[in-house]
Amino acid sequence: MSNSLYRVSTANQYDIALRNIGQRQTSLSNLQENLTSGKRVVRPSDDPVAAAQAERALTRLSRNETDLRALDMQRNTMALAESTLGQTADAMQAFRELVVSAGNGTHTQTERDAIVQQLVGLRDQILSYANRKDANGLPLFQALGSAQTPFPGTAASVSFAGLPGQHASGNTQIAKVLDGDAAWMSVPTGNGVFEVSIGAGNTGKAWADLGQVTDPSALSGRNYSITFSVVGGVTTYDVIDTSPPPAPALPPLPTGVPYTSPATIAFHGLSLQITGAPNNTDSFAVTPSQPSNVFEVLENAIGTIRDAGNPDGSTDFGSLTHGITRGLTEIDSAMNRLQASRGLAGDLLNRADRIEGELDTRAVQLEDDRSRAEDLDMIKGISDFQNQQVGYEAALKSYAQVQQLSLFKFI
Amino acid sequence: MSLLNVGARALLANQVALQTAGHNIANVSTAGYSRQSVVLQTVQGQFTGGGYIGKGVDVQTILRNHSELLTRQATAASSVDAGDTVRMQRLRQLQDVFSGGPSGIGASVNEMMNALSDVVSSPMDLTARSVALTRMDETAARMRDASQRLDEIGYTVAEQLKGSMIAVNSLAKSIAAVNEQIARAKGNGQPANDLLDQRDQLIRDLNQHIQTSQVAADDGSVSVFVAGSQPLVLGNKAATLSIDDPADFGAGSGKKVLNFQQPGSATKVELNENMLGGGQVAGLLRFQNNDLAEGRNLLGRMAIAISESMNTQNRLGLTLDGNPGENLFAPISLGNAVRNSFNTTPATTNMALSVTNPAVLHASSYTISFTSADAGSITRHSDGKVFSFDNLAPPPATTMAAVFSAQGLSVVPTAPPAAGDQFMINSLQGAAAELKALQYSPVDLAAANPINAAMGANNTGTLQLASLKATGLPNPPGLVLPPNANPAALPPIAGGIQLQFNAGSPSTYDLLDRGTNPPTLVAAAQPFVSGQAISYNGWEITLNGAPKPGDTVTIGNATDPQYGDWYQRDAGNASALMGLRDVPMFDGATMADGFASAMAQIGTRTQSAQFAAELSSAIATNLERDRTAVSGVNLDEEAARLIQFQQAYQASAKMLQIAQSIFDTLIQGLGR
Repeated sequence: MSNSLYRVSTANQYDIALRNIGQRQTSLSNLQENLTSGKRVVRPSDDPVAAAQAERALTRLSRNETDLRALDMQRNTMALAESTLGQTADAMQAFRELVVSAGNGTHTQTERDAIVQQLVGLRDQILSYANRKDANGLPLFQALGSAQTPFPGTAASVSFAGLPGQHASGNTQIAKVLDGDAAWMSVPTGNGVFEVSIGAGNTGKAWADLGQVTDPSALSGRNYSITFSVVGGVTTYDVIDTSPPPAPALPPLPTGVPYTSPATIAFHGLSLQITGAPNNTDSFAVTPSQPSNVFEVLENAIGTIRDAGNPDGSTDFGSLTHGITRGLTEIDSAMNRLQASRGLAGDLLNRADRIEGELDTRAVQLEDDRSRAEDLDMIKGISDFQNQQVGYEAALKSYAQVQQLSLFKFI
Repeated sequence: MSLLNVGARALLANQVALQTAGHNIANVSTAGYSRQSVVLQTVQGQFTGGGYIGKGVDVQTILRNHSELLTRQATAASSVDAGDTVRMQRLRQLQDVFSGGPSGIGASVNEMMNALSDVVSSPMDLTARSVALTRMDETAARMRDASQRLDEIGYTVAEQLKGSMIAVNSLAKSIAAVNEQIARAKGNGQPANDLLDQRDQLIRDLNQHIQTSQVAADDGSVSVFVAGSQPLVLGNKAATLSIDDPADFGAGSGKKVLNFQQPGSATKVELNENMLGGGQVAGLLRFQNNDLAEGRNLLGRMAIAISESMNTQNRLGLTLDGNPGENLFAPISLGNAVRNSFNTTPATTNMALSVTNPAVLHASSYTISFTSADAGSITRHSDGKVFSFDNLAPPPATTMAAVFSAQGLSVVPTAPPAAGDQFMINSLQGAAAELKALQYSPVDLAAANPINAAMGANNTGTLQLASLKATGLPNPPGLVLPPNANPAALPPIAGGIQLQFNAGSPSTYDLLDRGTNPPTLVAAAQPFVSGQAISYNGWEITLNGAPKPGDTVTIGNATDPQYGDWYQRDAGNASALMGLRDVPMFDGATMADGFASAMAQIGTRTQSAQFAAELSSAIATNLERDRTAVSGVNLDEEAARLIQFQQAYQASAKMLQIAQSIFDTLIQGLGR
């Protein structure tokens, strides 16, 4: 047996050379695959951790895209809601100016009827704004859920057919509808604490202002009636508690107080001013504010102007002035509520812009993550490929050269 | 005279040497050929008074150059190499099924969930609903497709194993025949070099299929053993190997085993997979029983978890028609366990299986072994963890139901088992093939919540609704809808469940049931934290903001007649379906990321198989080089030897010529 330290079998030599050539060829073609696909990780087994990272980055990217698209739809709807509220504000302003003009003392009922026509038109327009829907048929003011028409009914008696409440906005989405109940249905009557109504059967020319609260702790929240009696040219008034008994212990109400115009009547923490000459048995009712809605306010204002004429053709200035004063205050109150909703809508639109910016940044970050995990560094890849190419060439050349060497050539 | 003899002998010896060198050169590329060299020995000298005179050279034997140790090592290494290589090749095929990227199954699942976002944006849009349902159908089709590809890989492996068995059995027979020939030739006194080479080559071929160990016998035959101790070839008798289903759990276990059958015997001995060593058969069995099973389990678990969780959520919601939703995917039934055929109880005693909690499913098969009718142990195959249970012992001993419920399954015996019974739970493997979408009409996607919420119209705080969804947990009792309103009753019933916020800080609320008038107080002074979910009766509401005393939130039944068709514009259940994306359900990975971890698992296996194959290949190559360093033919060496023996031959011929001329001289000198 000969020493095998310095022996190598010819067949095995060729086998090993072939194996090396095959190895180099395989790695060359793998590198080529990397170059043509632009990826360092073509199959999960190339680098399982990086492959999983790239896959997760892709998942988050597609979710990001979905969020962006949903945000777009939410923003469009909210922008429509915001512009609707803007148009409403314009219409309410026009209504308000007409109401002011209706108080003109020189108008006859005919002219007031013409104004009423315009007011009715504006009110119907405002109702249509409240019921407006977006491009997908979703009512803009549906709050937490409503019927297809959130404010059904004729303009005289409108109710909110829905679930009051506002959706919260999150990190990747904003609410896309507004609370219709809060915007349209939460107008308090009177001055917000109590309302002063003119008696239905009043014949005199007295009218009251909206009153104010002088001492909030002394308010009782009960109903009162201020009744005038004209006896022998002397006008006096009584303040009567008209709520059902039992009556709590309260300071006594003024009775039999002589009246001259204008007079400030104060009792139980509130005071109001009555101007003009009342007739006998004329009365004013003072009751706590009730929640009302925009449409009722508009309807009341229209009603006041429509019914300002007496059967005999003269103008009932008392009820007209009282109604217009009260209507203007309540219209202002309603416009405030609508403006608050519009502010919220504007806020949400700003938030949507900010969220979009964040989502865009995140998209770039995720793409960077994915690329770092699985993409090939082109320069390194090309240089590796060239190295391998040179190595492969060297292997082939050396194989060709070595097989030329044989003792048989020389004997 | 003796010079003539010496010359003739030398001539013959060198002729034999030349022929041997020529034989080596002719066989330079023959696989398994060991080079032969001539061993020359001197002939004993003749004693004369002047010393021992040499009588020439003789050929003692033709030596076969080979090292038993190196041959054995090289054979074993190439066997391991073959096993690792074939396993790596199959794993490469397996990992293609789990490929990622925008066209992978993971992307398909995510697209399906993301399509629900359009439904949330416009619940009444039939196109958006249609797209969501179509994507569900596509995902189901992709899963079925992937499952079919796994089946095809399994089928290819089975065919390859069959081919290997035929080759192994015929090689064993050939080895036995050669053994007989060698035993006969041994009687002649000289080693039968070429037969020995042939036998070594047959053994090397056999080792490509299955690793063997060899033991030489005195009569020159070699016995070949597989799996450490089973005699495949004993002298001139060959046994047979076959691939079958395991004897205990049969085809239902999804595994295959190698069986050994003695010649002339009908009993089959199951060989332990861990004892097989290397070779293609061992590699393929390892792939079939471990890697392919894991791939099937991973896919099956994904199919079950996704379909179960989406079905449950859809059933909680309302369709566009106001009906409760139905299953989005056909429920995948797990059937019964696989019973061990050696169980003493009859075939009707089995375990009925179902999924209770898809979020904690493990991608694994289980084996239950009963030590008595009520106690035993459960082995989880994926990591080998063993749980023991005892249904009758007091706590802290766990019952079988408790162990399985922690694994997300419910396992109910159909009849009492006996001691020694075994059952295997293997149902995840075929689950992906059964994933099928059921809903095609866009109206049937239950996008609406079964409940709705309303803030009190007079609320003065800043409460906003962050989310409202039906969870159905805890189950039982599941989702209980709030009571309907009944305005006709005396006194009238307002309906719904109301949260009424109290004065004081921190904020608290009372939970009232308004199904009666006056309302029933269910819970008083519950602490309120903005952004924290409040769950009751299977639904969950999350409120943001600061409430003021007297604020209320009312949760009502969406199908209560007082709400009409308002539910049609609600997409709360679609949001909840989308929220499933973030539920951890694959060993802690969320549904969106579940496929990435499955892909990484298979990829890691493939990568380590690749490394193992590269390493074994390098070792095998090195050992083969070492072996051929001893046994291989080197052409240059043979060329040198040719020259050497040619010269010696010429010298011997010259010697004969000289002898002849001496003889001639002698004859001439003596003759007249």
